[in-house]
This record gives sequence, structure tokens and C-alpha cells, in this order.
Amino acid sequence: MIFLILGCFALVVVLLQIIGVAPGEAVQAMVRGSLGTARGWSGTLREMTPLLFAGLAVYVGLRAGLFNIGAEGQFVVGACASAVVAIHVPGVLGWILSGIAGLIAGALWAFPAGWIKAYRGGHEVVSTIMLNFMALQLTSYLVLGPIRDPSKDDATTPDVLSPMRPLLETQFDGSSFRLHAAWLIGILLILGFGWWLKKTVQGYELNATGANPKAAQMAGVPVPKVTLLAMCASGAFAGLGGAFHVLAYEQRFYNDFSPGYGYNALGVALLAGGSPWALIPAALIFGILGQSASSLQIMEVPKGMTSILLGLLIIGFAVFRYRNREVNRG
Amino acid sequence: MNQPIRMVGISKRFGSVQALQGVDLKVEPGTLHALVGENGAGKSTLMKVLYGQLQPDEGTLEIEGTLRRFAHSRDAIAAQIGMVSQHYSIIPELTCLENLMLGAEPGAWLEPRSATERASTLADRMGFRFDWNEPASKLSTAAAQKLEILKLLWRESRLMILDEPTAMLSPADSDALYASLHRLAAEGATVIVVTHRLPEVMDHCRDVTVLRGGKRVSSFPVAETDPRQLSEAIIGRSMIETQVEVRVGREPMLVMRDLRIQGDRGQEAVKGATGELRVGEVVGLAGVDGSGQHELFQAITGHAKILGGTLDFLGQSILVASPRQILEMGVRLIPEDRHAEGVVEDWTLEENSSLGLHRLAPFAQGSRVNIRARSEETQKMIDRFQTKCRDRYSLMRSLSGGNQQRFVAARALAHQPKLVLAFQPTRGLDIEGTRQVYAALRDQAQAGSSVLVVSFDLDELLIHCDRILVMEHGRLLEPPADLARDRQAIGALMVGAA
Repeated sequence: MIFLILGCFALVVVLLQIIGVAPGEAVQAMVRGSLGTARGWSGTLREMTPLLFAGLAVYVGLRAGLFNIGAEGQFVVGACASAVVAIHVPGVLGWILSGIAGLIAGALWAFPAGWIKAYRGGHEVVSTIMLNFMALQLTSYLVLGPIRDPSKDDATTPDVLSPMRPLLETQFDGSSFRLHAAWLIGILLILGFGWWLKKTVQGYELNATGANPKAAQMAGVPVPKVTLLAMCASGAFAGLGGAFHVLAYEQRFYNDFSPGYGYNALGVALLAGGSPWALIPAALIFGILGQSASSLQIMEVPKGMTSILLGLLIIGFAVFRYRNREVNRG
Repeated sequence: MNQPIRMVGISKRFGSVQALQGVDLKVEPGTLHALVGENGAGKSTLMKVLYGQLQPDEGTLEIEGTLRRFAHSRDAIAAQIGMVSQHYSIIPELTCLENLMLGAEPGAWLEPRSATERASTLADRMGFRFDWNEPASKLSTAAAQKLEILKLLWRESRLMILDEPTAMLSPADSDALYASLHRLAAEGATVIVVTHRLPEVMDHCRDVTVLRGGKRVSSFPVAETDPRQLSEAIIGRSMIETQVEVRVGREPMLVMRDLRIQGDRGQEAVKGATGELRVGEVVGLAGVDGSGQHELFQAITGHAKILGGTLDFLGQSILVASPRQILEMGVRLIPEDRHAEGVVEDWTLEENSSLGLHRLAPFAQGSRVNIRARSEETQKMIDRFQTKCRDRYSLMRSLSGGNQQRFVAARALAHQPKLVLAFQPTRGLDIEGTRQVYAALRDQAQAGSSVLVVSFDLDELLIHCDRILVMEHGRLLEPPADLARDRQAIGALMVGAA
């Protein structure tokens, strides 16, 4: 894994050379920007948070044999719904209701894809991509019209009444370090889900459905029902991620809310492979790259550079992970 | 081919396993040669070496008087060697003609007319009939097997290797298959048949080679041996199968009256089946593949749509019960298609051990998985039929087919099932494995269960079952009492001739 990451970095160095930026300086800037300072760390953890939720969402789907491309849409719809609640309801009650709103909105947005897959056999990749378009257009319409704050120039909602303060805020070498409860909740959800998957009968049935639906059916597992529920749970986790992103970090909902967290989550889940715990380091890697993108921009390195790095990382990982598949047979 | 095929001193090692050790094989041209042995004796490995799929560590291969080395099966095909493996390679989405040509197309441009002409000529030669433009998914198992043989002819194979060709065929289809193999041999082709079934060897082959534990035990003309001597050579001691002592069932366990079941394609697959299974008996369900056995099993386990009639299990109707409820009532299944329906190949044996039993004690404790109990149960399942594996954490896919089957059979028999439905429970098992599985099924019946076994091997059912039922074209028939064990009478029922 370490070797793999180094290999990808090497490729990026070559690309940087082509662009005409000194690779050493660029890498230095990247590391400094994401891990070198307390501020950088705060940003990295912030970038990591939505990826924890959305990564878990994609992972839940994968376990049930579903490729949920729709995490992006579910995330955005969840964020929008939670913002609508949080701009009207203050306090802890506001947080709870807003979280529930995000959860439900995400689940509802996943439901059609799950239903079509479970009872009509339509492929979830197609339906979730379509639902993504609808989610983006719908939320865009809402924030440009009905829920827009007219006093602001941008297409954005009013600020939420009671934003979540950081759990921990300290000064460190002149820069401030912030840790949000949202991050911790994301970690705990992943750990809890990993436990549930391994130790409960329902978790076993979910795994069986993904691993061999026909055998699961013969073993008395109601496969269509499990498929539908897994898709909704996947959407719910993504929606909850959207809700926390509003409450903890953005404090409002605006047009083009997600820079692609739901898509990066696909990479997070694929990078994690079979193990739920591995979602955490995978999200961290994506978080580091996401955070360092802005440091690189200062050096006039295009933002797309980090996307290329991410892409290389995933392709390299896929090569490693699946290389023995055919060899094992026979 | 005019000269014998000679393999001399073939050795092959996989890691720490010596699969073949100095094996010699000599096959006379224009004959049927049987290769027999237990699971893991090295039969398939030896054939893969001959077909170029595996390269031997040592040994030589002589074809038409010249030494050959095959780096790839392409080389073997070029040398006019063809193989039909146990799992057919027919692609259901393609037409029969496309399947026939696949990999050996006459040119870059397909000319359907000339291809069809050639295909028909080949089929006529063998006495087969195909509708070339029909999708291969419509083919019965026997027809698929015939198409596989035509594929070899299309490639102009002169040496044909058939791995367990009759495993899925009815007796009548098996006889027809051997008739066509004899015809090929008469035209000069050489055929090697890998098989478990000694009657086939005795009836159809000229020579037989026996492998045991990766070594050649003996090789002789069939005319100079008998089944007893052969089975001794195969398992290393004498074990001739004798008819079990027939038991009479007690009170009814499963009762069906005029049961009508819908098949996968919406047809009425079972047309008014009436019959019962009783406590304490092992009932054999004979019949040609596709006569409704599959749908009957699906219906009893709650997976098929029932069009009419009644189905009672222990006095209670299970017409509308869910698969889970039926499992909880004590119905267990050894499924037809082990890979697709019985196991998760990417899981460990331990994870597979609770598939289907996962909501029942001791595997579940409330809604929690009882991992300790699961480990213990897995070990018991492995030990029951001596499944060969590294340990209970081995992946299912690392086991050979026969060993997977042992494990699946042990799982179906765990925890006092009430009714065991076994679809070809000994598929891919050797003589000893078959004996063990039937012995276990009989013990289970003795202990108060009821067992229904589907097999396409009528002799196997006659040896091991207390009672034989026959499915023919969706009907469930029982031979008259005075002919209850009469091979001829049952055979006639199977093909609808009675």
C-alpha cells in the first residue's frame, strides 16, 4: 500500500515536471498544507468528514451487491433538507430534527433505485446516475428560488440558527486546530457498522445477499427486501453526511454545494476494499488530497492535479487488489 | 490417428501437493479408453496435461509417433486433440451455430450458409439434429452435451477427452451418447472418458486405466476385468455395493395432492403431483433431467409459484409459507447447482456453515451471530464426510467440487432436519464419498427424518433408496408394488413408455 502511494506520487511528480512546477516544492506545499500545521490538519479532517459518511454509504451498498453511484445526489438532497429544517428550528432540537431530515431525504432519494433493482431488476448504476441529475437540478431550483435568502448576492439559504461548534478548538503554533463532533460521529458509525456486519444475523444476511444472491435466496433470505433496505440505508448515510456538513461546517446550503464528495466516496469505498475499518484511512487519504488542492493552487498548479493523483491511486489499487482473481481459479 | 497416444512418466506438483507421480498412459487409436479413479486421484490433472492446459514437471507425451510439448491448449487443438470438460462451455445467449463455431470460426467473415451446411453434415454423421439458429439456452442437458461433441468435430479433433460426460444425463441419453462415441471410434477417432461409473466402463470401453493418489495403479483391457476388481483397484480395497435393506416408512411427513407448480418460463412444470413422503424412509426420485424435479424441490422449499393442489408438511399446509418459515420448520436442501445456490465461494467454510441455518440455534443467539458455536459446528461439518481443506477458514473456492459437495451435504444434515431434499447429493463424489453420504442420509431417516433424493443415476437410487418415485414430463408416478424395484419397469416410466 505504501509502495503504491509512493508510486502514484512519482507519477504525479512527472506530471508536475511537465506543467513546469518544481515537484519538490509542490509536494512540500501539499504536505505542509494538509498535515504540516494545525490549520492544515483541521482542513484535512473537515474534508474527511463527508467522505466518512458517503464512503460508508457506498460501502453499505457494495456489501449488498449494489453499486450506489447516487451518493452524490443523496448527500446533496440530505444537506438541503437538513438546512431547511435548521434555518427554522434552533438548538439541540434543531440539530436532531435536521439530522433526521437529512437521513430521511437521503433514504427517500435512494428508494426508487433500490425498488427498481429489487423488484424490477433494473440496474442501480443507471437509476442512481439519473437520480443524481434530478437531485442537483431540484436543489439548485430550490436554492435559486423558494429557499433562497434574498438578502444575499449568492444563491444560498439563510444561515442555520444554531451551528454546531467544534468539539475541540485549540491554538497550536499560532494556528488553530478544530475537531468537530461530526468527524467523530462518522468514525463511530463506521466502527458500529463494521461490528453490526460481522456480529448480527441481519449483517450476515446483507453480506450473503451481496456475495451470492441466489444462494442467499435459497438460504431463506428475502433478497429483494434486503436489497431495498440496503439501498435506503446507503442513501440515509449519505444524507446524514450532508446534514452534518451543513450543521458543522457550512452552516447553510448553497448552489453547487458538493465539490463531488459523493463521487470521491466511490473511490474511498473501493480503496477500502472488503473491510469497513479501512474506510477510515481511505477517507483520510482523500481528505489529505482534498485539503492540499488549495495549497497547490497557490502555486498555480491546476486543481485537477489532485484529481489525477486520486484517479491514479484508485487504478493502481484496483490492479493490486484484483490481480489474483483469475489465478486463484482452478 | 494410427498410432497410440503415449504419456510416459508424467509428474505434476501443485505447491506441496504431488498431483501426479510418474503416470503412464497408453491409448490405442480408434478405441474408447476409460480413465477411472476417486476424487483427487489425478484424472483431471492428467487430462489437462494432455490438453495442454497444464505443463508437466516431468514426463513425455507422444502423439502419432512424435514427441510433443504443448505450451497451451491451442497447441493441443492444433494437434487435433479436443476436450469437453465437466461443466459445459455452451453459452446460452448464443445460437447453436455460434456456439459450435466459437473460437474456431472459418474466417473473419461469417458465412452462415456454408457454416450451417457444414454443421448439418457433421450432425447428420452423428445422427444428431439441431435447429442451428435457436438459442442454446433452449437445449436440454443431453443436447448441450451433443453440441459439445460436435464442437470437437468442428475442430476436426481426432482425440476426444470427455470429463464425466454422463454426470447429468439420464440412462437413455447416456446410452445414446455412448452409441455416438462408438460411431466416432469406428471412424477412427480415439476417445478418453473420465468417469466414476463402472457400468459405463464395463459396457462401453475397451481399455481402462485406474489412477489412485496421483499414481497409475493398473491398466487393462475391460474384457479381462470385472467391477469387483476395478473397484478394488480404485479405492484400494474391495467394496462392492449391495442393495440396502429396504425399510417401510411410518406416518406421513409430506403430503401433496394434485400439486401443480409453475416453472421458470411460466409453463406448468408439475402437473398434478400426488404422493407422500413418510418418516423413516429414503425415497428416490428418478426421472430424466427436466421432468419437474427442480420445480418440485422449489415448491417444497417455498421458492416456486404453486398453481393449485395441496402441500402439507407435518399436517400443516405450506402453500403460502416463506422459504424462511419452511427452513425453520426443518426442511433442508442439498441444492442442484452447488456453485450458484449452495455456497458463497468467496467466503470461508465457517461463514458458509451457517448459510440457511443462520437464524436458527446455535448459529444465532437472538439477533446475534454466535461465532463460537459456528466455529464448532463448522468443524463438525468438515469432519463428518472428511472434507479435505486446510482449516475452517479456507475459502470455499479453494476446495475441489467433491469436497464442496461433502461440506454442503454435511450442512444439510446438521441439527436434526425433518425433511432432507437432496438434488444429486453425490454429484462429483467418488465411490467412498457416495457411500458415506447415502449412509448418512439413511441414518438421518432412521432417526426420524424423511429424505427425498433426486438422481439421474437409476442404479444409484435402486441401491440406496427404500422406495422409488418417478417424474416424467411433470407427472409424479409410482411403479406398481410388484415392480417397485424393477429396473426395466422404472426405466419405462421415466421415458413415458409405460
